[in-house]
Amino acid sequence: MSLRREVREVQIVQVLAYGILLGGMYALLASGVTLIFGVLDVVNVAQGAFLVMSALFTWQVWSVTGIEPLLLIPVNAALLFVIGWIIYRGMVARVAPQGPSMTVLLMFGIALVIEGTLNLVFGNKFKSVTPEYFTWSVKIGDIVLPVPQLISGVLAIAILGLIYVFLRVSWAGRAVRATAQNREGAALVGISHKTASALAFGIGAATAGAGGVLLSIMYPVYPATQYDWIARLLGIIVLGGLGSIPGAVAGSLLLGVMEAFAVTYVPQWSTLFFYGTILAILVFRPQGLMGSVTREDVV
Amino acid sequence: MDHAGGRLRRHTRVAAVAATLAVAAFGLSACGSSSSPGASGASSSGGGAPIKIGISLPLTGDFSQPGGEAKKGYEAWASLVNAGGGLLGRPVELTILDDASSQEQVVTDYNRLISQDKVDLLLGTFSSLLNYPASSVAEKNKMVLVAPAGGSPKIFDQKFKYYFFAQQATAPNQANPFVQKLLALPADQRPKTAAFVTQDDPFAAPVIASMQEQLKAAGVQVVYSETYPPETTNFQPLASKIAAAKPDLIAQGAVFEDGVGLVKSLIQIGYNPKILFQTSAPTNGAQYSDAIGIDNTEGVFATVSWSEKAPTPGNKEFIAEYQKQNGAGLVPAEDAADAYAAAEVLAAAVKGTNGLDNVKLQEWLHANKVTTILGELSWDEIGRPQGDFLLSQWQKGVVEIVAPDAAKTTDNLVMPKPAWK
Repeated sequence: MSLRREVREVQIVQVLAYGILLGGMYALLASGVTLIFGVLDVVNVAQGAFLVMSALFTWQVWSVTGIEPLLLIPVNAALLFVIGWIIYRGMVARVAPQGPSMTVLLMFGIALVIEGTLNLVFGNKFKSVTPEYFTWSVKIGDIVLPVPQLISGVLAIAILGLIYVFLRVSWAGRAVRATAQNREGAALVGISHKTASALAFGIGAATAGAGGVLLSIMYPVYPATQYDWIARLLGIIVLGGLGSIPGAVAGSLLLGVMEAFAVTYVPQWSTLFFYGTILAILVFRPQGLMGSVTREDVV
Repeated sequence: MDHAGGRLRRHTRVAAVAATLAVAAFGLSACGSSSSPGASGASSSGGGAPIKIGISLPLTGDFSQPGGEAKKGYEAWASLVNAGGGLLGRPVELTILDDASSQEQVVTDYNRLISQDKVDLLLGTFSSLLNYPASSVAEKNKMVLVAPAGGSPKIFDQKFKYYFFAQQATAPNQANPFVQKLLALPADQRPKTAAFVTQDDPFAAPVIASMQEQLKAAGVQVVYSETYPPETTNFQPLASKIAAAKPDLIAQGAVFEDGVGLVKSLIQIGYNPKILFQTSAPTNGAQYSDAIGIDNTEGVFATVSWSEKAPTPGNKEFIAEYQKQNGAGLVPAEDAADAYAAAEVLAAAVKGTNGLDNVKLQEWLHANKVTTILGELSWDEIGRPQGDFLLSQWQKGVVEIVAPDAAKTTDNLVMPKPAWK
C-alpha cells in the first residue's frame, strides 16, 4: 500500500516537472504576444509564423553547418527583432489607427505570407533539429527530465527574466511600459510613442526568435505548424489577462501543468481540459488571471 | 491512405475559419482560383481524337504537397501510355484543375470537367476530405471515379456504385498483415502484453482499434489503451504511463509529429518495447529518420500501400518515368505511386470493356481484378478494396517490405527490436 502510494507520488512529481518545463516554454512565447498587445492594442496573430520562421531558419543553419543550435538564440532573436521593427514601422503603424480589427487582419495576412514563403523555401515537409542531446535525459531520483525540455524550460525562463529586468530597469523599457499604461501621459514627458511601440513589437517578435530555436530541438516543424501555436498562445494570454506579462507566465505554467496531468491521466480529454480551463476561469474572471479592468473613459 | 491528409486536416480547419474571416472582410471571392489546365503528353501516340481525362487536385493549399505528388504520378502514367500507343489506339489527354484543397472548389472543378470540358473519363482527387464531395458529383453524373487516396469509411457509407478506392484496403483492415505476421511467430516470440495508443484520427484510430481487437482475441493482454487528441504535442507523460505498464508491443496510431514525439519520449525515459508498430509516421522516409535519428528506426513496423523496391509489375517503369520527368534519383512519394495506380485501374477497365462507357466501366471494375504497381486490386459492390496493405519494417536505415510474399523485398525480420541508440 505504502509502496503504491510512493509510486503514485513519484508519478505526480514527474508529471508536475513535465508541466512546469512545458509551461516555461509557453511563457516565453506568450509573453511576446501579450507585450505587443499591452503596448499597442495589436493582437499579433503572426507570432506562430514568426516562431516557425525562426525554427526553420535554425534547421537550415544547423543542417548546413552543424553548429550548436542554442547558439542561434541571440542571432534569431536579433533577426526577428529587426523584422518585427520593420513590420511595425512599415505596416502596423499605418494600419493601427483603423482599429484593432484591421490590425488583426493585417497580422493574419502577414502570417499567411510568411507561411507561404516558408513553404516555397523549405517545402511542405517536417524538419527536425537533432543535436546530440535530443534524446538525452537527466535522472534525479526517480524523476526523468528530458534534456531538450529541460534546456528549453530553463532558457525560456531566463530569457523572460531578462526581458522583465529590461522593462523594469532600463530607460527604454520603462518608456515601453509608460506607453502601455498611458500613451498621452508618456508623450507629455517626451516618450516617442512610435519608437516605444516599435521597440515593444520588436521585443515581442524577438521572443518568437528565441522560442523558435527552442521549439526546433523539441518538435518537428513545418510551415503550417504555426496554427497550432497561435491557437495555444492566444488561449494562454486571454487566460493570463491581455497585456499582462506576469499573467501570461501564470497562465502558461497553469496550462502547462494542466496539460501534462491531462495527457497522463485522461489523454483523450487533454485538449478539452486546456480550453475548458480557460473558459472556466473567464466565466469567473472575465479580465483573466491578472488582467486589469480598463476604464475606457481614461483613454 | 491519407497520410499527409490526416496530418494536415486540423490545420485546414483552423485555416478555413481564419480564411473565411479574411475573405469575408476583404469581400473577395474564394472561387476563380483554379489554375489553367495542364494538358500533358498527347504528342507521341497514334491516331484518333485524344481520350480526355478530367482530374481535380489540391495543387495549392494545405494538401499541396501530396496533391503535387499525385499530379506527377498521373503525368508519368499519361506519358508512358502515350509512348506505348495510347488507350484503344487513341492518345490520352489529362486536364488537371486546382481545387486549392477546398471542398467547394473540388465540386466546381468536377462539374466543370463533366459539363463544360466534356471529358470522357475522371480520375480522383487527393484525400478523403476532397473525394467525399467529388464522389457525389461523379455518382450523379454516372461517371466512374477512381481515387488514389480516400479510404475513409464516411465515403463508403454513401454506398456509391461509381466510386473506387485504388489502394489495397480500407483503414480498419490496414493492420491485418501485421497481426498475421505476429500470430505466425513461434509462441515464445509473440508479444504477451501490448499497449495501444492512437491519435483521434479517422485513419489512424480504426487501424489500432481493429488490431487491438484481433490481438486481444488471440490472447495478447492489453495493458494500456488510450486515445489522444490531434493537438497533443508533448508525449513524455504518455510515454511514462506506457512504460510503467511494461508492454512487449507498443502499437501507435500516429500521423507524424505524434509518432516522432512518442518515440523520442520513449528513448528519453529509456523504455524499449520488443515490438513497435506505428501507422503513417514511419512511412515518411527521411522526415521520420531525421526526426528520431536513423539508428533508432531499426525494427519499426508500419503498413504502406507502395514501396519503390516492390517487385510488382510496372513498378520499375513507373519509377524510371517519374525520374525522367522530375529528376534523376528522386524516389517517388507514395502519393505519386497511388495516383499512378489509380490511372492504371481506369485504363484496365477501358481496355477490359474496349470502350469509354462509364456504366460498363463501373460494372467491369466490380467484377474484375486489376494488376497495378501496388499489386492486385479488387473491389466490393460499393468500391471498397478487398486486399491487404504491405507490411514494412525499417532495416539498416531503409524501409523493407516483409509481407506479403509477392511484394517482399527481404526475408529478414528484425525481432525483437534492438535497443535505442
